[in-house]
Amino acid sequence: MTQAVLDRPVARERAVPRRRRAGRGTGYLFLSPWLIGVLVLTIGPMIASLYLSFTDYDLFDAPRWVGLDNYATMFTRDDRFWHAAGVTARYVGLSVPLKLGLALAVAMLLNRARRGAGLYRSAFYAPSLLGASVSLALVWRAMFSTGGTADRVLAAFGLDTGGWVDQPQFALLAVIALAVWQFGAPMVIFLAGLKQIPKELYEAAELDGAGALRRFRSVTLPMLSPVLLFNLVLETIHAFQSFTGAFVVSSGRGGPSDSTLLYTLYLYQRGFTDFRMGFASAMAWVLLVVIGVLTALLFRGSRRWVFYAGEGR
Amino acid sequence: MNGRFGVRAGLVAAVAVTLAGLVTGCGGGGAASGPTTIRFVWWGNEDRAKVTKAAVELFMKDNPDITVQTEYAAYDAYFQKLSTQVAGGASPDLVQLDRATLGEYQHRHVLEDLSSFVGKTIDVTGIAPALLAGGQIEGKQFAVPGGQTTQMLAYDPAVFTKAGVEPPSGPGKSWTWAQFGESLRKVAATGVAGTTDFGWAIDWFEVWLHQHGKQLYTGDGKLGFTAADLTEFWTLTGDLRAAKGVTAPEVTTKMDGSMPNSGLVTKRAGSEINYDSSLSAYLSSYGPGIKAAPLPTDGQASGMAAMPPVTFAVAQRSAHKDAAAKLLSFLVNNPEAGKLLGVARGLPPNTAIREQVCGAAQAATKAVCDYEKSVADRIGPATGLWPTGSAAVKRDFQRVYDDVIFGRTSVADGAARVVQTAQQSLGS
Repeated sequence: MTQAVLDRPVARERAVPRRRRAGRGTGYLFLSPWLIGVLVLTIGPMIASLYLSFTDYDLFDAPRWVGLDNYATMFTRDDRFWHAAGVTARYVGLSVPLKLGLALAVAMLLNRARRGAGLYRSAFYAPSLLGASVSLALVWRAMFSTGGTADRVLAAFGLDTGGWVDQPQFALLAVIALAVWQFGAPMVIFLAGLKQIPKELYEAAELDGAGALRRFRSVTLPMLSPVLLFNLVLETIHAFQSFTGAFVVSSGRGGPSDSTLLYTLYLYQRGFTDFRMGFASAMAWVLLVVIGVLTALLFRGSRRWVFYAGEGR
Repeated sequence: MNGRFGVRAGLVAAVAVTLAGLVTGCGGGGAASGPTTIRFVWWGNEDRAKVTKAAVELFMKDNPDITVQTEYAAYDAYFQKLSTQVAGGASPDLVQLDRATLGEYQHRHVLEDLSSFVGKTIDVTGIAPALLAGGQIEGKQFAVPGGQTTQMLAYDPAVFTKAGVEPPSGPGKSWTWAQFGESLRKVAATGVAGTTDFGWAIDWFEVWLHQHGKQLYTGDGKLGFTAADLTEFWTLTGDLRAAKGVTAPEVTTKMDGSMPNSGLVTKRAGSEINYDSSLSAYLSSYGPGIKAAPLPTDGQASGMAAMPPVTFAVAQRSAHKDAAAKLLSFLVNNPEAGKLLGVARGLPPNTAIREQVCGAAQAATKAVCDYEKSVADRIGPATGLWPTGSAAVKRDFQRVYDDVIFGRTSVADGAARVVQTAQQSLGS
């Protein structure tokens, strides 16, 4: 399969002089690690999972074709599927705005700082480097469990909530907090975007008598909107795929009382605990379609609020 | 740029979620001669790991041509890892299973039928037939018991004495559910729950069912109880919870059989129902004071039963089944191994080794031997294997109970849901 992909462009472009053709081959050769990676680790498994989604496959025995059964079961007879979708919607809906808001706020603070800016930038970015790790999620679980640090600090302020991760009404908040805390990546991107905004615009606005809030609304936000869209799309996709935090905090169970059962976690349980890999594959494809549609909607909606300099609007 | 980004991101999304589908199908293969390496995996705590590794060392000394790699994890993590490894073609050779999972894995053709090994590589003559049956499915030996266990109430005598309560101990001593509940309430008055809420595990419901002449599963793998039975049982625990006799929901929801999450070990409860194969783990995790008492009963039947806490099985995809079978037989029958393993998986399955181990028993071993001896005349024969689907039933049982204790559903609705989903799980 790799060979076919490599050959095609060469065959089509016969008119290209010999030297340039050779150069092309070398180019593909240099690309090959990536190409092989995409074919073997992305396209291949995707096709396999699309096939599996139409089968009853228990991981051990050969898959058995069942047509659309998995999809039908999912939408009509599986309460936990809808529950997991609801939990995920809540997770995405809360974590993405909170994370982006925090990232923007910190980026604006850092944009102003003169002395020690590099140090602060690194310090705020650090959680993102650590955040995806399992060990940190373990620390999170310990912190938010009954008698943990968070419990004691809140109790000291008279908020006796008990351990967040042990109670259904708070557990998802603990997982969201873990995600929001890793605001480093969007923060750095916001910071880069803020640095790109010409100083003259602020000066002009100030001369016109615009206050800080007005400057933020009429200069910063429009100028930053392409970056905001980029971060929004990226973080939304990330949030839908989020798995580690909820998995570790709930010991893989999505509890207490299914309150942290993210879509990906349920998918994982279906595949590896209930041995319903066909069903899990179908869930994966539904998620892919949902993310695709939402991303398309975000781009479509963005035409109304994203401002690209030089568009002459 | 935007369009490309969308496709790219979608692709990234797809990789993340479909990587799970990457399944390579290599495994099997014939037996190799010469030096072989096999993998032996189990779940359990540090104590169990320490003695098991020591026994494996001994095996390797006796069999220099076999190298054994060992892996262990906590219960949930163990099974997540095991299924992934088997599906990925990296199956371990010797695996540890329990009642809920043996049928599941056999049904899915993961396990080797040991019939051809029994009498040759694997010696089962020292194991009582009733216990040995715990590894048989439809008359075929798919697994061999790694021990014998029965249910118990592990308790801290100091906590109970402080409340002026003395749980029954010794031959012929027992208590009723009313006495039990009263004791828990008295303990609760001292500021700690009497026991960990025992409504979480279907295992303890099984004991209660036995006491009422019923069973969890019928002989042909169907559900043996009704929603009304479960409602009665969960009402019993619910009343105790209201009186703080059993632990609060946030403690109960963590229960998974592991010591770090145990209500007793975390000192949120003065006692806990468990299998006595865990007694040594309690003794090392909580402290040397822990004692074992029989479960309460209102009638003649104690409801408790002797059963294998774990069984050992050889993977069908193992390339070195002979070596794996040899290790299995060694763990079960070798006197020196038996001495090392002690009661890490309950009483030794081999009767001769059991007598030897209990004869020289000290500390944890003695506690298990003494308890088993005190209830020996009351425990029923090994109850049958749980059917395929029972692992899902067990998980659903605990999940629904979470909803019940957090007040998200009523006891009656929850019980009905358990019965309904269980029928689906068993039917598939």
